[in-house]
Amino acid sequence: MNWRIRLNWWDKLLFVVMAIGAVFAFVRFATGIGTIANINNAYPWGWWVGYGIMTTIAVGGVGFTITALVEIFGVERYHSFVRPAVLMAFLCYASAITMLMVELGRPWMVWMVLVSWAPTSALYEVGWCAFLYLTVLALEFAQVPLEQAGWSRAFRVVRAIYIPIMLLGVTLSNLHQSSLGTLMTLIPHKINVLWWSDNLPLLYLFSAMMAGPAMAIIEHLAAARWLGFTPRMDLLAGLARIEAWLVSLFLAFQMGDLFYRGAADAMFIASWFAVSFWVEIAFGLMLPFVLLLMPEVRESNRGLATACALIIGGVLLHRLNVAVIGLRVRHWETYFPSIGEVAITLGITAAAMFAFGWFARILPIHEELPPPETRAQPAAQPASVLRGAEGVS
Amino acid sequence: MSTSTVKPKAMIQDNTRCIGCRACMVACKEWNERPEDHTDFFAGEGYQNPRDLDANNYTLITFNEVVTGEKPDWVFGRQLCMHCEHPACASACPTTAMFKTDLGPVVFDESRCIGCRACMQACPFIIPKYDYNSFAPKIHKCTFCADRLEVGMDPACATVCPTGAITFGDRDDMVAEAKRRIAAAPGTYIPEIYGLDEVGGTSVLHLSSVPFEQIGYITGLPKTPMPDLTHRWLRATAPVFAVLYAVFGALNWIVRRRMRRQGHEGEHT
Repeated sequence: MNWRIRLNWWDKLLFVVMAIGAVFAFVRFATGIGTIANINNAYPWGWWVGYGIMTTIAVGGVGFTITALVEIFGVERYHSFVRPAVLMAFLCYASAITMLMVELGRPWMVWMVLVSWAPTSALYEVGWCAFLYLTVLALEFAQVPLEQAGWSRAFRVVRAIYIPIMLLGVTLSNLHQSSLGTLMTLIPHKINVLWWSDNLPLLYLFSAMMAGPAMAIIEHLAAARWLGFTPRMDLLAGLARIEAWLVSLFLAFQMGDLFYRGAADAMFIASWFAVSFWVEIAFGLMLPFVLLLMPEVRESNRGLATACALIIGGVLLHRLNVAVIGLRVRHWETYFPSIGEVAITLGITAAAMFAFGWFARILPIHEELPPPETRAQPAAQPASVLRGAEGVS
Repeated sequence: MSTSTVKPKAMIQDNTRCIGCRACMVACKEWNERPEDHTDFFAGEGYQNPRDLDANNYTLITFNEVVTGEKPDWVFGRQLCMHCEHPACASACPTTAMFKTDLGPVVFDESRCIGCRACMQACPFIIPKYDYNSFAPKIHKCTFCADRLEVGMDPACATVCPTGAITFGDRDDMVAEAKRRIAAAPGTYIPEIYGLDEVGGTSVLHLSSVPFEQIGYITGLPKTPMPDLTHRWLRATAPVFAVLYAVFGALNWIVRRRMRRQGHEGEHT
C-alpha cells in the first residue's frame, strides 16, 4: 500500500493554516487559555464550542444522513456517497474531539466522563455518544484501509459486524445530535427568545440532517474538481431535491416553534439579535431553498455548490446564534472571538481537510475513480467502470 | 452523621441590616486562602470593588445608589452562591465534580473536573468563575464553607458580620425567621424572600428594603428547578435508543431482503 502523495498547492495552503493554528495551540498549552482566548466568566463557551464543536458535529451529520438514506431507507443509487460521507463524519468527530482537548481546562482528565455516572447531564450523554460514535465510524471505515492493505482477517471481522455497527452509528447520531440541543435548553435566561426553545433538541437534530446532503454534494463537487472525475450530476440533482425537503422541514419547524412559543414578535424588534436571525433565515434557509427548487440550479455545478455552501453557512450561524451570538448574560459583559481562538479552529479544520484529501488519493473512497494502485498520476479521467460494492465498500 | 438526621442548612442575608463593611468578604478570603486583587474603576451602575465575583472573590457586597423617597441612598446587596436545592450546575456536570451535599452546600471536587465549564454556563445566578490563566484551572465559587459545616462550625462570613445581617441555621428555621422579620417590620422590608422559591428554592435567602433588581440581583427566574428543562429530554434517552435501533434494524432488514431478491432475479449488485 502506497501512502505517498504528491502535494498540491491546496495541500500546501492547508499546511500553512495548520501551522498558524499549531503556533496558537502551543501558546494556549504553554501559558493557559486566558492568554489567547477571549472566553471569560460570562461567556465560558465561545467560538470554540459554537464552531469547533457544535458546527463541526452538525457537519459530521453527513455520516448518519447518507448512511441512513442508503442502508436504512434503501435508496441504493446514492451508494457511492457512503464512503466519502463516513470518512467526512469520522474526520469531523475527530476534529471536534481535538477541539475539545484545546477547549477543556483540564484535557488530561477527559476520561473521567467515561467512568462517571451523570445521567442528568446532557454533556455526559453527548460525551459518551460522541466517543462511541467515533469508534463506530472508525470500525465502519476500517474496511477500506484494511482491504487496501490486504489484511484479510481483520477485514472479514469488520465486514461481518458492519450491519449492527452501522445501525448503532445512525441511532447514536440521532441521540447525540439532539442532546447537543438539550445542552442549551438549560439556559433560557441567557439565550435570546428567538433561539431558546424547549424544542432545541429537535432543531439541532434537523439542522444536522440538513447539513448532511449539503456536505455530500459539496464534497462530491470538490472531489470531482480536485481529483479529476466527472461529477454525477444526475445523483446530485436527486440529493439536491432531498436537501430542499430537509431545508423546508427545518424552516417550517423553526418558524412554527417561534410562533407556537409566542416569540415571533422578537423577529421584528430592531436589535442585533433580529439581524442575526434574519441573516440565518434569509441566507441560510430561504435563499438556498428557492435555489434548490430551480432545475437549472440543481443541474449546475456552481448553482449546487452555492446553495449548499449557503446551507452550511446557515447551520454554522444557527449554532453560533444559539450558543454564542444569542447569549446575553449581563449588559456590561461581552465576548468576541480572538484571532487565536479562530486560528486554532481553522488549523484543526484544515488538518481534517488535508487528511480527507490524502485518504482520497491513497484509498478507494470514490467509486468514480480507478482504484489507487492503478493510478499512475493523479487521475484525470473519469472512471467509466464503477467498482462493485456492498456495505460501505 | 447519618443522612436521616441531617437537617439542611440555610443562610439569611438581611440586606436591610448590612452596613457595607465587607467583613464577610475579608473572612471569606481568609478562610478560602484567596489572594489580594488589583482593582480598577469601572463605569456603569454599582460602586463596589471589585465589580463582580471572580476566581479570587467568592462573595461580594454590592454598593447600589437607589432613590428611596426623594433622595439617593446607599443600598447594599450581596452576591454569593445560592446553593440551590436543585442545582443547575450540578445537573449539567458530566463528571459529577459539582454536587450538593446533604447539609446543603453545592461543592466542587477538582479531582473530577475536566474543565468543560458547563456549570458556569448553566448557573442561573452567574456564580461559578474560572481562573483562565492557570495551567490546571479550577471552578471557583462560594462553598458555603462546607468544610466548616462538617465539623459543626458556621460559615466564615456568618461569624464575622457585626450587624447580624447574616444569620445561619437549619433551612426550615431560616425560612420561618425571614417570614417573621418581614411580618414584624413591613415598612422596612419588601414582602419578598429572594431564594424562597427561585429556581425551586435555594439555601441562601435574601431580604431587602428595595426591589431586588435595583440592587443588582438577577430577577425573573422561573420558580421551578432548572434541571427539569433537560431532564424531560434526557430521561427519554434509553427508550428512544431502543426504539430507533429496532426501527432502523427492521428497515435495514427489509432493504437487504429486497436487494437479495433483486440479486436473484436480475444482475444488480
